[in-house]
Amino acid sequence: MQQTDIALITEVLNGNTSVYADLVKRHQRFVFTLAIRFAKNREDAEEIAQDCFVKAYRALGTFKQNAKFSTWLYTITYTTAMTFLRKKRLSMQSIDEEESLVQLQNHISDYDADAFDKKSAHIYLNQAIDMLSPDDASIITLFYKGEQSLEEIALVLNMESKTIKVKLHRARLRLKEKIQYLLKDEVKDLIR
Amino acid sequence: MNVEDQIWDYIDGVCSDTQKQEIETKIANDISFRKVYEELKAIHTLMDATDLDEPSMSFTRNVMEQVNLEIAPISLKTKVDNRIIYSIAAFFILSMLSILIYALANTSFSTSDFKMPSINVKVDLDIDASTKRIGLQIFFFVDIILGLVYLDKFLRKKMQVKSGL
Repeated sequence: MQQTDIALITEVLNGNTSVYADLVKRHQRFVFTLAIRFAKNREDAEEIAQDCFVKAYRALGTFKQNAKFSTWLYTITYTTAMTFLRKKRLSMQSIDEEESLVQLQNHISDYDADAFDKKSAHIYLNQAIDMLSPDDASIITLFYKGEQSLEEIALVLNMESKTIKVKLHRARLRLKEKIQYLLKDEVKDLIR
Repeated sequence: MNVEDQIWDYIDGVCSDTQKQEIETKIANDISFRKVYEELKAIHTLMDATDLDEPSMSFTRNVMEQVNLEIAPISLKTKVDNRIIYSIAAFFILSMLSILIYALANTSFSTSDFKMPSINVKVDLDIDASTKRIGLQIFFFVDIILGLVYLDKFLRKKMQVKSGL
């Protein structure tokens, strides 16, 4: 039977530090995905994600065990990624849309509608998410892939849950616009 | 609330039963509403089905190599049994209430012979000097023993932390 996060943390705090590897394996995919929403490239995202796990390890003794470990870890991920962005002097606005769309149109020109499958749908979806601002992309990722409620996302991003709800709605609308642009209003085809 | 916000609330399952029924009726009867719903639902389904990105194969190993250079974390949380806190609180509340009740019971409220309540406790202890000395010796002895027990516990804890590194 798989041990809970809290049980693993207790073991680490009791001196069995090698168990931390299990916690890393359990959460690395999501932390990496969240990091990639900010960094926009795998190398930087991997650096951010590694930094997050080391920071979480250092602060593990301060983790209040009545909360979800994932929410706490994602808060660290968010702040680490934001610090990374500031260091890299990247704008918090969405990346230059025109340039991205040109790149994506080039992709689409080679795109054969008949060969469209779910895998390519996910590639285009990820590209559309990349076009969003880091905040929008993070909220969408936390909501859909992080199994976080609006209240938990509010904790991670240090905002009111009402604000998160509005931001989530807007982010999804922006995502829809991007996908519609990419796929010529054939959004429904994505799920066929 | 605009149409899209309503539909997102419906898709996320955060609207009330009445709103849910209203939206279901609109989806069934209103073609433009249904079109918006289908588009948003498509985005929702696609997002749900998206896979997470996978870091490199050496990710966990790299993290653990860095982690092994760090000092092992220890819990900073002191576990306090709430029952102890409640017992102490109850003791003080009861003590204060008892004193208040005693004071009120012994107070004369007429203005002419107003008197503050007083407690008359006669302490008549006849302790000679030798008993006092023995008592003090016992007191200091117990203190020293308690001090040594505490020091022993403290050093053991320190040893455990060191061996955990």
